[in-house]
Amino acid sequence: MSAPRVACVVVPLFPLAARLRSEPELAGEAVAVFEGNGNAARVVAATRPARRVGIRAGQTLPQARALLPDLLARGRDLESERAAQEALTEVADTFSPRVENAGEGVLYFDAEGIPMPAGPGDPEIRLGRAVIAAVEKAGLPARFGIAASKLAARVAAGLPDSPTAVAAGEEARFLAPLPLAKLAPEMELAETLERWGIRSIGELAKLPEGEVASRLGELGRELHATARGIDPRPLEPRLPSPSLSEGMELEWPLVTLEPFLFVGNAALERLVRRLESQALACRRLEIGLKLDPEGWDARAITLPAPTRDVKTLLTLTRLELEARPPGASVVGFTFTAQPDRPRQAQLSLFGPAALSPDRLATTIARLVALLGAANVGSPRAVDGHRPERFASADYSPPPPPRERRAPRTGRGLLAIRVLRPAVELEVITAESARLVSVKSTNGAEPEIAGNVRVAAGPWSLEDGWWSAAPASRDYWDVELAEGGLYRIYRDRTSDKWYADGMYD
Amino acid sequence: MAASEARALERLLAGSGFTEKPAGLALLSGPGAKLHVASALPSRAAAVAHLPTGIEPLDRLISGGLPRGRLTELVGRRSSGRFSVVLGALASATSAGEAAALVDRGSSLDPQAAIEAGVEIERLLWTRPRRVKEALAAAEMLLSTGFPLVAVDLGLPPLRGAAPEAAWVRLARAAEVEGAALLLATPYRVSGFAAGAVVRMDDARFAWLGGGAAPRLLAGVDARLTLDRELRGSARGGATLSLHVADAISRRRDRGQGTGDTKRNRSSSDPSDLAFHPPVSALA
Repeated sequence: MSAPRVACVVVPLFPLAARLRSEPELAGEAVAVFEGNGNAARVVAATRPARRVGIRAGQTLPQARALLPDLLARGRDLESERAAQEALTEVADTFSPRVENAGEGVLYFDAEGIPMPAGPGDPEIRLGRAVIAAVEKAGLPARFGIAASKLAARVAAGLPDSPTAVAAGEEARFLAPLPLAKLAPEMELAETLERWGIRSIGELAKLPEGEVASRLGELGRELHATARGIDPRPLEPRLPSPSLSEGMELEWPLVTLEPFLFVGNAALERLVRRLESQALACRRLEIGLKLDPEGWDARAITLPAPTRDVKTLLTLTRLELEARPPGASVVGFTFTAQPDRPRQAQLSLFGPAALSPDRLATTIARLVALLGAANVGSPRAVDGHRPERFASADYSPPPPPRERRAPRTGRGLLAIRVLRPAVELEVITAESARLVSVKSTNGAEPEIAGNVRVAAGPWSLEDGWWSAAPASRDYWDVELAEGGLYRIYRDRTSDKWYADGMYD
Repeated sequence: MAASEARALERLLAGSGFTEKPAGLALLSGPGAKLHVASALPSRAAAVAHLPTGIEPLDRLISGGLPRGRLTELVGRRSSGRFSVVLGALASATSAGEAAALVDRGSSLDPQAAIEAGVEIERLLWTRPRRVKEALAAAEMLLSTGFPLVAVDLGLPPLRGAAPEAAWVRLARAAEVEGAALLLATPYRVSGFAAGAVVRMDDARFAWLGGGAAPRLLAGVDARLTLDRELRGSARGGATLSLHVADAISRRRDRGQGTGDTKRNRSSSDPSDLAFHPPVSALA
């Protein structure tokens, strides 16, 4: 049985990297991410320009500002960090089916038996380069280490010359020259070892295990084992999340829509990139708004077809928020995409070209936003006799034929233009129910008025007599002297006249 | 002195060829000529493909069908047969396996009637805007999606929210970019110079069966088609379009077979057996 291979990916200065991913325009600026409030706020991480003037993690914000008055200070954004961590694990998902999310910008994945990228040199180094490139594409910096245990891989990933591969069985030798701090021992243990004069991991590993355990207890025994490259912790793969979300906490409460859409656009772009990386599309977009001073507004937009078009998602978000404003200023937001497989296009060499499913989904979403869901679809016939009946279904055209067909010769049928709703009429009749003239009632559209030149009828229609809204009508076809050929009826229940169609 | 100068000028002119032929002609016909006379340029109209509407008089009039990449405006007053032509075009496109879209401002479509006219409704996307501007926006989206046929029916007047002429130009441009046939059915001219072809339907005459003591029955309508704005290669003049009421045709056949059945049957006929277009007036 071959030795296990565990890869570790580490995002250095993770709180800062997550913030820069959400606000890419800050790249290159002197930025510090701090935690806490007021004068007690402490710097957690700072960009290189800030570190160059002496700003370090642990300093208070006033100390940092004293060093650099122009420092851009940002609070820790847990929402951005959560989204960044998710994006990181999704990248790892594309390399291995078994991924452990260790949080705080660290993850492990099982690298045993996975396909390695082609090219010259060590295949594990090539894998590392590919992983780093993929993580950078997701908007985060990364370091990569690979070894037989999680601990060794984590230490390898922390080294500056990334990627680093530790050969199987070489863990103890690899760890030996490194400073003891790399194992992050408990402070009390570290002080004791410091007093003993133990500086490197190798020096600790050389001590007899029993003596260390009797003096330093269980924690000391565990530290001694890790110093020898023994890491009993197995990989704990996570279950993939059924949904993807992106969001951030805002520096200032937003009260107008435009600035929100500006930051929302960037979040949607990140969300769509993640969907693309998994060959998925968004079927349902859930919007969560954190309100000021407290409260949460949640809403969802169901899309007619899965889409990855940022513009469409943003337009739908705009329309949703315009229709139902949240009622308070917004201090944070989350977009959650319920993923689905995008529709697949079928290509044909000789038949008519199929519509692109992606473009079609986007167009339908936009049409729904413009006209309403009830006014977009594919028509369907409905059983019954009432001429105004119709139904509409989701538009999902069958694939075009493989070979182009000749169009069918037209039947030359006279169609009826259905008037929805039916136009109420005033009808003048003469002896033996002969129709003389018709005129639409005031305000009814389209306007219908004229003397009847020819009338044919009546034909009886009865439908739904068993229901609460039965139809009992007498129909005529009438040609007006002023032009126009209408289908009109008298409702036998109300004794009112209506036009429900025009031959056209 | 003056004589020698005059001879030198003559030699110069002779050498340069200016006295032989005009400079413009030399540019047009000389070796490596870059300029062409306009008539020799390839005609865009000649390369236009057509989408047959399945309505023979109309196809003949506009040289084979709706031009792809152009806006065809169909103008007809009430009961002129305009909506029947729209359904015919949709039936033709969908029966060939192509997707089609109908922008139906008046929500006028009867799905059952569309099926009887031969439309494969699974291939038809039906949108129902209320205003002309919404109809324009919807049509532009549908064209940019790649629908080979987009039919826009503006319904009955009044046309609320009329669009500026530039909007129609933009729509025609979208059709040109995608190579789609755009059929615009309106009660009166709206698209201005954006239309590649304009067909007017008027002089509608309705034909009735029966009379006197016999019950009357609508047989169909004859309408006059005329080209207001011609495409290259279009037929001159006009044509007569005859549209039948489906059950009137079946009744005519029944009468021919001696059944004498005068009861009106509103159910549809078999779609496969009705491909004839005698003038409707011949039925009455």
